[in-house]
Amino acid sequence: MAVLLLAALVLTACGSSGSNGDNPVKSAGVLRVGTEGVYSPFSYHDPATGQLVGYDVDVARAVADKLGVKVEFVETPWDSIFAALEANRFDVVANEVTINSERKAKYDLSEPYSVGEGVIVTRANDNSIKTLDDLKRKVAAESATSNWADVARKAGARVETVEGFTQAIKLLNQGRVDATINDSIAVYAYLAETGDTTVKIAGNVGEKSEQGFAARKDSGLLPDLNKALDELRSDGTLASISQKYLKANASGAPESGQAQHAPRSTWQLILDSLGPLAKAAITKTVPLTVISFVIGLVIALAVALARLSSNVVLTNVARFYISVIRGTPLLVQLFIVFYAMPELGVKIDPFPAAIIAFSLNVGGYAAEIIRSAIQSIPKGQWEAAETIGMTYVGSLRRIVLPQATRVAVPPLSNTLISLVKDTSLASTILVTELLRQAQIVAAPTFEFFALYGTAAVYYWVICLVLSFGQSRIERRLERYVAR
Amino acid sequence: MTEPREDRIVAEGVHKAFGDNEVLKGVSFTVAQGSATTIIGPSGSGKTTLLRALNALDVPDAGVIRVGEVELDFSKPVAKDQLRRYRAQSGFVFQSHNLFPHKTVLQNVTEGPIFVQKRPKEEAESDALELLRQVGLAEKRDQYPFQLSGGQQQRVGIARALALKPKVVLFDEPTSALDPELVGEVLSVIRDLAVEGWTLVIVTHEIQFARQVSDQVLFTDHGVILEKGPPADVIGNPKEERTRQFLDRILNPL
Repeated sequence: MAVLLLAALVLTACGSSGSNGDNPVKSAGVLRVGTEGVYSPFSYHDPATGQLVGYDVDVARAVADKLGVKVEFVETPWDSIFAALEANRFDVVANEVTINSERKAKYDLSEPYSVGEGVIVTRANDNSIKTLDDLKRKVAAESATSNWADVARKAGARVETVEGFTQAIKLLNQGRVDATINDSIAVYAYLAETGDTTVKIAGNVGEKSEQGFAARKDSGLLPDLNKALDELRSDGTLASISQKYLKANASGAPESGQAQHAPRSTWQLILDSLGPLAKAAITKTVPLTVISFVIGLVIALAVALARLSSNVVLTNVARFYISVIRGTPLLVQLFIVFYAMPELGVKIDPFPAAIIAFSLNVGGYAAEIIRSAIQSIPKGQWEAAETIGMTYVGSLRRIVLPQATRVAVPPLSNTLISLVKDTSLASTILVTELLRQAQIVAAPTFEFFALYGTAAVYYWVICLVLSFGQSRIERRLERYVAR
Repeated sequence: MTEPREDRIVAEGVHKAFGDNEVLKGVSFTVAQGSATTIIGPSGSGKTTLLRALNALDVPDAGVIRVGEVELDFSKPVAKDQLRRYRAQSGFVFQSHNLFPHKTVLQNVTEGPIFVQKRPKEEAESDALELLRQVGLAEKRDQYPFQLSGGQQQRVGIARALALKPKVVLFDEPTSALDPELVGEVLSVIRDLAVEGWTLVIVTHEIQFARQVSDQVLFTDHGVILEKGPPADVIGNPKEERTRQFLDRILNPL
């Protein structure tokens, strides 16, 4: 199986190509759009309604309208958005993709639908940075795959990689970095939304940035996309969408028209987030944990028994599995299941993909726990079961496993509690679990600490409940041993 | 008009080696129905391995053994279900009792009858209670093994072996792991079984007990049975020098 996974990795690296000629979107009747969902004001969730909105989102909707197809949004973190595009999770990226020559070589890029200017943001009291040259030996926070990271690096800055613009601003606020370069539109929108006076626009990088849609190379989508954008531009639709979301940055001050964005107090925000976060915890985090753990335990038992069997082939397959699972990062395992398997023609939805990856992971770790628990049961127990006529399976089920359970419960509880928190990694493969929900709520308000804190409290509560369950089970299993 | 006593165990040329170490070098003996046989001998002489061969806990490399109604030729490969039928002919009492710690006294005794022999629960439980009464532990039925003394644990182990109604009961040094003051209660239970007519094979170091209880004594040394016969002969008047030395060391340790 690991060989398959390796093959999948290689294939991913090679990328894939769409078909030429006919527009595949039109024949499918739906335009699938990848976007961040946490990048205000371009792509975010309206705090009042929870709807996905934003400049890029609305432009994508208008384009789909022109093409006469339905639109479907797939929310993906920026740093895996191109991997997901290549894995055919969606047709185009609408997320302020800046047009440059490297991207042009790899992807189909449409005509620009937003034009901005790169600006340098610093703390308000920092006058040491005014131009790109001043960035030498300073620290800038940028998204790993954004073109602003290149601009900063070329200027001689050390780049700290962040998840997105809002995190960069947070690091800047906290004094952990000196600057961040981003699109003027995004910066004006931030200043307007938050009224933050601790940061300022210190200068510009003398570079215009043009943003357009990105599609897979040779997708056949470009002519239709460009035609639609041209029409939207000439009939004033683009301008009015721009007005709706970006008016604030034109004037540099919040407008009364943005009433639904009126800043809420942090406490109010946390209070409002409790419901959505609880929903994410109950519908995603908890089921993800429980289902993966149960499947994982079944796998673990099978692997542990294979590991203990006298069959050399079985033993070695089991060893190899355990070694691969424990020797590779869980994040990579998730990515392989979700992004690489489609290259082999196996496309799995986010939630089941997460279940598969987490189950396999639990299987690897728990197998060693179960194996050592079984081995801790004295040989005399197997022999006694044998002398009363039990088969291997009977001895295992009625005599050995019940005793091994007592030994295995404490370390397995550790695995379970780790798993609860590991499920937050599912956010990277489009599962809107607890942490992702917190990001979504936090994004338009920039209140990351408050919402991550709230999410942390939820995780903690889930783990508290589990610890309570653990001590109850342990007490029950202790009834037959001397204290 | 007593029936002619048939043999419950017939062993012919039993060999067993662990790696290079040949533990049984061609052992032959018989055990008559309703008799008690004790196996004595120095440690490492093969007596425990011989007993375990009778229950296939250690499967011999060669030789023919009949226990009860099942005869196996170990020089040929033996199928698993044959081995299970062979094993079902005898009950086994371990030196360190090996009770199931997660089951109550009653559950330990009924586990085999209910789960393996598929007997009705009520019937198995009333039989088990009768056996527990016999070993003097009926009132402990709902306790867990850790709540019992060593002697009580071993008596439950005996009840567990009897519950399957075996043709032969095998004892592997049943009192060696016990405190001296607890040895008597276990030996008296075994003596009662002999009196009742169970067929017993007992590996033991309790020479006085062997003398009183057994119909036959086997003295093993270096993987062979050096001497066998009634206790009056083997213990009371041994022919072999090795047997005399062994008995002397045990009876007069100083």
